[in-house]
This record gives sequence, C-alpha cells and structure tokens, in this order.
Amino acid sequence: MDGEQAVNTMTDVGNRPAARRGVFSRRVSGILEPYYYVSPALVLIVAVMLMPLILGLSYAFRDIRILNPFSGGFVGLAHFQTLMHDSAFLGALVNTAWWTFGSLFFQFTLGLVLALLLNRHFVGRRLVQALVFLPWAVPTFLSGLNWAWMFNPVVGPLPHWMVSLGIMETPFNILSDPDLAMWGPIVANIWFGIPFFAITLLAALQSIPGELYEAASIDGANTRQQFFSITIPFLAPTIAITLMLRTIWIANFADLIVVMTKGGPADSTQIVASYIFTQAFRRLDFGYASAIAAVLLVLLLAYALGVIALRRAMTHADS
Amino acid sequence: MASIEITNARKSYGAVDVLHGINLDIQDGEFIVLVGPSGCGKSTLLRMIAGLEDITSGDISIGGTVINDLQPKDRDIAMVFQSYALYPHMSVAENMSYALTLRKTAKEKVASAIENVAGVLGLNALLERRPKALSGGQRQRVAMGRAIVRQPQAFLFDEPLSNLDARLREQMRTEIRKLHRRLGATSVYVTHDQIEAMTMADRIVAMYNGIVQQVGTPLEIYDRPANIFVASFIGSPAMNFLEGIYQAEGDKAAITLEDGTVIPVLPSPQAENGQHITLGARPEHIDIVQDGSRPAVSSNVELIEPMGLSTLVHVTLAGKPVKIFTLARPDLAIGSQVQIAFNMDKTHIFDRQSEQRLLPLNEPRHTQQT
Repeated sequence: MDGEQAVNTMTDVGNRPAARRGVFSRRVSGILEPYYYVSPALVLIVAVMLMPLILGLSYAFRDIRILNPFSGGFVGLAHFQTLMHDSAFLGALVNTAWWTFGSLFFQFTLGLVLALLLNRHFVGRRLVQALVFLPWAVPTFLSGLNWAWMFNPVVGPLPHWMVSLGIMETPFNILSDPDLAMWGPIVANIWFGIPFFAITLLAALQSIPGELYEAASIDGANTRQQFFSITIPFLAPTIAITLMLRTIWIANFADLIVVMTKGGPADSTQIVASYIFTQAFRRLDFGYASAIAAVLLVLLLAYALGVIALRRAMTHADS
Repeated sequence: MASIEITNARKSYGAVDVLHGINLDIQDGEFIVLVGPSGCGKSTLLRMIAGLEDITSGDISIGGTVINDLQPKDRDIAMVFQSYALYPHMSVAENMSYALTLRKTAKEKVASAIENVAGVLGLNALLERRPKALSGGQRQRVAMGRAIVRQPQAFLFDEPLSNLDARLREQMRTEIRKLHRRLGATSVYVTHDQIEAMTMADRIVAMYNGIVQQVGTPLEIYDRPANIFVASFIGSPAMNFLEGIYQAEGDKAAITLEDGTVIPVLPSPQAENGQHITLGARPEHIDIVQDGSRPAVSSNVELIEPMGLSTLVHVTLAGKPVKIFTLARPDLAIGSQVQIAFNMDKTHIFDRQSEQRLLPLNEPRHTQQT
C-alpha cells in the first residue's frame, strides 16, 4: 500500500541509498502523506455530511413518497414548479423572515443590554452570569411546551397579566389567533436566544482594554460617547459574525414552532423549516420536502454570501 | 499651564493603605518625575491626579482649584499611557483629534492643530494610518501628539517609554525633554527607571511603600540621598553599602567595619560613638590606590568588567562585595590584593535602624525629607 511505503521512506531513509528511490515517487508520497493522517476525518465528513447532502438534493428532483411504493421516479423540476404556486410555501417564506428578524432584533438588543449590565462589577456577578445561561440549557421542546402553557389562559398567567396591563381586553390564547400567533414562538425564542448574545458579547466586552475607556474619559468623552466610539467599534466584528450565524440558525429553527403551534392556526406560524418538517414527516412526501429544503439552502447561502461580501467591503474601507 | 498641589493625599483599597499622606507642590511648568520600584504607589498617585482613582482623603488641586470630585474630562489634563491606549479603529489623525472633536472645536482649528503637532512630532506621513500599522516608537509619538493637541493644563505620563527598546527609549527621552522645554507645560512623569528620572526631571520625587522618601533635583538626590532606599535606588551602578560602627574623636571620625578595617568619614553631629552605621559610597567615589600616595585599605579583586569608556572593578572588603568605577584601565589580576581609598567628602553614613542619612557637620538640611 502507498501508505506503508510512505511510512517506510520515513523510517528507512538511513539504511537505503537515497538514489535507489525515485525522486518523483518520494515527492508524491511526501505530498500525499498528510492526507493519510486526515483521512479518517475526511471519510466521516463525506459519509455523514456530503453524501446525505447530495442524496437530499437528488430527492428534490425525484418523486419520493414513503406511502407510495410506486414512487421514486425522476420528476425533473416538477417540485420546484409546484413550489412557485404553493401559497402555503410563499406564506411560510414571509413568516420565516418575520420569525427570523423579529426574534433576532429582540434577542440581540436585549442580549447586548444584558451583556453591558453583566460587564459591571457587582456582588454575585458570577452567579448571575451562570443563571443567565440557563434558558440555553433547557431542552427546546420543554421550553416550547412551557411557553405554550404560559400563553394558555386556562393554565398560564400571561393572558391574565396582559389583561391587567390593559394590552388585552379578555384573556385568550394568542397562539390560537392567526394574527397574533407568531408572537408566541417569537417571545419564547427571544427568551431562549438572549443568553447566546449576552455571553458572546460579554466575552467581547471583556476583551476591550480598560485603558481605552480611561483615555477616552480624559479626552472628554461621556459614557454615551465612550459607548459609541469605543464599545461599538470593538464589538462590531463579534456583532457581525453572531448576527449572521444566528440568522441562519433561527431561520432553520422550527422546534419551538412545531411544539407550540405546529405551524397553525391556518398555517399562520408556518415557517419554511416547519413546512419542510410537515411535508416530510406528516405528509411523508420526501421529494417535495427536499425541494423546499434545497430552496431554503440556496436562500441562506445567498444571505451568508451577502453578509460576507458586506463585511469584506466594510473591513476594506477600514484599512 | 498650572501648578499642582497635593495635600495629605491618601489612598486605601479597603484595609490596605497604598498611599500614606502625600504632600507635594508642583510648580507651574515644572517637569516632575515620580520614581520608585513597582508597588510604591507612584502610578496610583498619578491616576489620582488624572481622576481615574478616587482620593480616599486629602486634596489635589490644579491651578488653585481642588479637583477631588471633578471628572477626568473636567480636569483639563492629558495623559500618556504605558500601553499608549490608542483607539485602534481610528486613524492617527482621528486619534489626535478625538478630544477636540468631542469639544466641538471648529474643523479648521482641529485640522491646523493636528498639522501643527504632527509637524512637531514628525507624524505628517502617518496621519491616515491605523495604530496597528505603526511601530512602537510611532505609536508612542501618536500618544504624545494626542496629549499635546489638547493644550492641557498638565501632562501626565505613566511609564510611557517602558514598552520601547533601549535605543528608542533613549531617543524618546530627549525628545520628550525637548518638547517640554518648548511647550513649558507642567508635567508629571511616572517611571521605575532611575536613569529616566535623573535625565528628565526638574525635580525627582522618590517614592517607596506609599511614602515620599525624598524630593529634590536629580543632583541633590544623587549627592545627598535622604536614606538608604533613595541612595540604593538612584544611581547605576548602585551605591556600595558596608556595615560598621561609628567612632569620632575631635574633628575626625571613622567607621570600623566588621573585620576591623577602619574607613575615615566626615564627622556627623547626628551620630554617636558606637552607633551602628551603614556606610554608603558610590562606585565612582572609591579610588584604586596603586602608588601608596594616600591612606588606603586592602581588598580582594573578584571581577573586572571593562566597559570601554570605564571599568568596573568588583572587590571584596570585609567580606562584602564592593564595586569601583574608574575611568582608568587598571592592570589588575583577579584574586590579587588591591589598595582602595574612600573619598571621604562623598561617603555617606546612614543610621542602621532608621536608615536615614546622618548629615555631616557643615551640610544644611536643604532637601525636602519626610
């Protein structure tokens, strides 16, 4: 085997005249050698990531329905043509944007506020920092169930509180109101996502040298000016990368929606990810579900490329 | 420009006292260097002047106004940090103009101020660069420029040269000194480097353990150190110390070392016969006597360090190491005996208990002591 030869050249070099081994083959095995070492990882990546991806993409062009034994044939772009006129899908696209950016805005804003608070010195700060992380540690379906109950006027307090605050006239479950239902999972998602931003932004905040604030305070900057001229520029790279990652995660994150509303009522909380889930595991139409997934993949890739291009443009303008 | 008065300033962190009542008057336009080993409180004192640390008790005033409770920005001071603390996302010009922009200074004025200062510091070609694209020396200059542009009442320097290499440090030392002469601004400069203190200061404030040990011009401090700490901290190579017993008779006095060697010193009215004394002599105040022309004591040559300009001879006297600085190039063999003589006028005696210097008869107490 080539691999053994490569090893042999390494160990037997001293015993053999160098001229007897071809310069070319030595060079080739030298180039190949590192790949042998990474091959276990490569094999795993190909087996569990690349293959399923290609297989999944191929399903998008085939008719695969679990309950139909005659399905499996190649259908070309038929699924995509159906998609273009699928109002449920188009609604899900709009909902996805709504769900993603609604959650993201509040997660980020509140996470930043929390990070700034946790960056101050106070008694019990470490304990609070640990507690803040808790929502992240709760299994999402449990969070979803809990929040669903909290919105339920029979068992949960939230509708009654909202009545007391004058936001609601009579206690009812917003999860069953098509106009308001999306706010249920969004609120749960905000609660769930704040720790991520708080912790990553806190780490970034703690890396800012204190002397910069001292220099700025001597230069005459007040707290607000220090925030905008030191804190924000320092946080910018972290903000950019976390916002991008979270956008993609949230857009794909259907757990809370599936648990709390199952996409209803009347598809009013259906996002693309939950629609894929519904198509694949409720209607068992894997072909169509794969086609939707392919579209979502393309959309998210386009988004990521856009953000990266924007970032590159910004850092180029910087230097 | 303004004077700075520090009256009985104390600083404690909880139960730990860092500064024990500092009194210091800094004249308008003076260049004061706070010097001492790390942990002596010099940086804390500087940060108290800047407003970055609270004053536990006492007063600090700038230009006659007590500034204890003023925010740093309202004290009209500029500070140069050890790490320079340049704003990394701003260009050199933006770094220097930041304070002026915050004060809403007119754009033309800012531009002309920047141009002016950049010219003085040789930063013209670097104005558009980011700090990360600058060398250490250039960053240091930008930090200086940021302070100068504002034309503050006082400059505060917190070990600004300690991140530079030796050659650059030497160069910046003279540059800062020249700048000070040009601007005439009151400056407080913190360093642990006694050479910086000696070369730059109008007056040196030597600090140790949160107490001002001595205030004086560099040569006063060097020639008439108040105590053993100041004597040992200032000067390189450091002063030699030998322990012995004081004996005086009439207008003559001498120290008897542990092995019986007798070294004549100037008599001090503050010393008593039989008192335990630490004798201090700078390496350049001990001479090698090879022709027997002067009374001398015998010592062993341990090591010879030729430094080109001068030679440092290490000997042992009464079992203690003694360094001798000489401009000559003595022809000595290691292990041989050499006769050495102490320059009596320049040799100090310190009380071993209090570590204070005991003044000779004719020297007035004209350096400030605590």
